[in-house]
Amino acid sequence: MHVYIYDDYLNKNKYNKIINRIEIRLTDLGLNGKIIRLGGIKNIKSAIQNEVRLGAKTIIAVGNNQTINKIIGAIIDNNIYGDFQKNTLLGIIPVGGDNSIAQSFGIKDEEEACNILLARRVEKIDLGLAGQHYFLNQAVIQSLGAILKINDYSLEITSRGEVRIINLLSDQKEKIKSNPHDGQLEVVIRTKQKDESFFTIKKLIISHPEAKLLLDDVVEVATPVEIGIMKDKVNIIVGKDRLFE
Amino acid sequence: MFNKNHKSEGLKDAETIIGASIKVKGNFQGQGNIVIEGALEGSLKTDANIFIGDRAKVVANVEASEATVNGEVRGNIKVKNYLALGETAKIFGDIQYHEISVEKGAAINGQLIWLDEEHKKGDFKKNDEKGSGVEK
Repeated sequence: MHVYIYDDYLNKNKYNKIINRIEIRLTDLGLNGKIIRLGGIKNIKSAIQNEVRLGAKTIIAVGNNQTINKIIGAIIDNNIYGDFQKNTLLGIIPVGGDNSIAQSFGIKDEEEACNILLARRVEKIDLGLAGQHYFLNQAVIQSLGAILKINDYSLEITSRGEVRIINLLSDQKEKIKSNPHDGQLEVVIRTKQKDESFFTIKKLIISHPEAKLLLDDVVEVATPVEIGIMKDKVNIIVGKDRLFE
Repeated sequence: MFNKNHKSEGLKDAETIIGASIKVKGNFQGQGNIVIEGALEGSLKTDANIFIGDRAKVVANVEASEATVNGEVRGNIKVKNYLALGETAKIFGDIQYHEISVEKGAAINGQLIWLDEEHKKGDFKKNDEKGSGVEK
């Protein structure tokens, strides 16, 4: 069974046409299934967990990065994760902005997303972890004042800019080698002095006296926080134009 | 990894790049090529190549297969194969090498110790006190 999780912002009138279009397309492709609207649900986690328990074949996030984040947060570190890993795939239908995760998977718009669901091309994807929170794309923090502790050494950044800890690239123009299957995270530090640093890690602790770490443009996490990676944690339906091998 | 002008070829070849705005403290160990443009204090080691840029300040013992140094290194350098010192290089420490080139303008304040084939093939750690010849 396919279970479509509609994020609450899709209740707005401006999305009616898009949602209608998606539903018609899914029916045409024989992919229709159960719809859960997060707007009307108080306990989102329990609703999603229940669907996995009932044997959902595919759970499809209809929305943006935040929708995917909510679904992953409901599944990982829960006793239903075993069932999810064995039986359930995660699909994505992007609607509106903030959809960098869908872009990483080669899903450009809602119509293409429906075709991709039908093709059912599956990849096991690593999941980044910052404290108790998960991220698929990246974790970002201001660079000036940030201290990164990695194994036997620490890094201090002395210029303004940005520290990005990347699991999955969301922009094809980036010339960064990043692979969401390798069990590693790429750290990229770009400063306003126009210098760039790059290295790969499995684990680090990041601290900043003022700024918070932003995960997938959605969740803010206070520092110090430990960042790590969980290999091949989620089975995701991806497009052939995904931004990784 | 490095061209004749002692410049790094950029991001695509190096697995680790430490930019000019970064200060590293501790034992920095890599498996691939490393580019250092910033400051490093502690130790620096890789089985591959190291490029130290002209603005870099390294206070550490350095070990690599090959290295190009254009900046300042305060510590001993051990390079299993080829070491290139650029015109802006300043070394305060002993240098162990198998092959070396030194550009006009480079400053060396320490011993130059040649590693012969036998010592070159061995583990770096076992060779710490070894060298077949000493030049001053």
